Amino acid sequence: MTDVASDPRSQAEDRTDLELVAQWKAGDQRAATRLVERHADALARFVASVGARGDVDDLVQDTFARAFASLDGFRGESSLRTWLFSIARRLMLDRRRSERRRGEQIEIHESDAQTEFDPLDDVVARETEARMRRAVARLTPTQREVFMLRVSEGMSYREIADAVDTTEGAARVHYHNAMRAIKELLDD
Amino acid sequence: MTDCANGEVRDLLPDLLHDRLAPAERQRVQAHVDGCAECRAELGLLRGLRAAMHRVPAIDTGAVAATIPAYRAPARRSWTSWRAAAAVALIAVGGASVALVQRGSGAHSDSTSTAAPTAVAVADPVATSGAAGTAGETRRVAAAPSHRELALASAAIGELDERELSTLVKDIEQFDAVPSAEVENGTAATPLSPRGDE
Repeated sequence: MTDVASDPRSQAEDRTDLELVAQWKAGDQRAATRLVERHADALARFVASVGARGDVDDLVQDTFARAFASLDGFRGESSLRTWLFSIARRLMLDRRRSERRRGEQIEIHESDAQTEFDPLDDVVARETEARMRRAVARLTPTQREVFMLRVSEGMSYREIADAVDTTEGAARVHYHNAMRAIKELLDD
Repeated sequence: MTDCANGEVRDLLPDLLHDRLAPAERQRVQAHVDGCAECRAELGLLRGLRAAMHRVPAIDTGAVAATIPAYRAPARRSWTSWRAAAAVALIAVGGASVALVQRGSGAHSDSTSTAAPTAVAVADPVATSGAAGTAGETRRVAAAPSHRELALASAAIGELDERELSTLVKDIEQFDAVPSAEVENGTAATPLSPRGDE
């Protein structure tokens, strides 16, 4: 029988993000692994839902690389996850700008939203879910970011404002506009 | 799908979905939802949207974690190195100013243009203290250093300890302000001299 108290993995589960950051700074590389495991899926959901096409892995990896390289600048004023989202968002904006400079089409289409989930949809996607994803894909980029963080990640408006560099009030407005748009799209 | 008129509760539905409400508030919102068809429908829609958005490719967290390097604390500049840099900057600015003075006074005194003073002499009170009263020697102290001499002085400053640096900075501070580079009425600018020699 495994002694839970002495199991390092179990102990890591209990530690806060800031404690794990301190552990990593003290030379414990397992703490970095634990932080990646804790936040990678949420980051992937975020970057996929707001329009990263085919490079979700790269963006998640780059986000962590950037974050760990500048962890000394993280003051814990927001949660680590919010901070990671803000880094991922900046990376996506940078990529969009460079794509735009190269003249690439970067608008998100319904087919993009469909495709980026398809690899996992080895079972037939339910029509309702497919329609929902299409509706989310048709939101404006800012509405999609805010809506995703609010509904998929359960973040507060304050946290969303920190992550997407806006105000709490604006985040609330974007959320309700997105909700109204989705209802209209689903009612069509 | 119609909207419930209670905007405050609708605003909290995602928090109810993620169980992020305080117990009392959760109870209040849940009670409203239980009796409100519109809010129940919206909560169901949110649940479906969350499930739909959660379908994303799995991330290979091991591969991501493997790319994260070990922590390296940022390098910090020591106080001593800052002081050394400040001392070098002071000497460089002083040397440049003196060079300008010399250029202005060169037309009036050929002897100064042939002098071969050093930057170290400017900063060395011993070299200047015995020079008071003789214009030629005072000018020697004030003349501009060469680039090589400045470089040598900079290197030497880097080897000074805290106490020696402190002494050097004090010595530099004891000099009068750098004289104006402008030559008034065709006369040479006042030569530099330590305050104590006046």
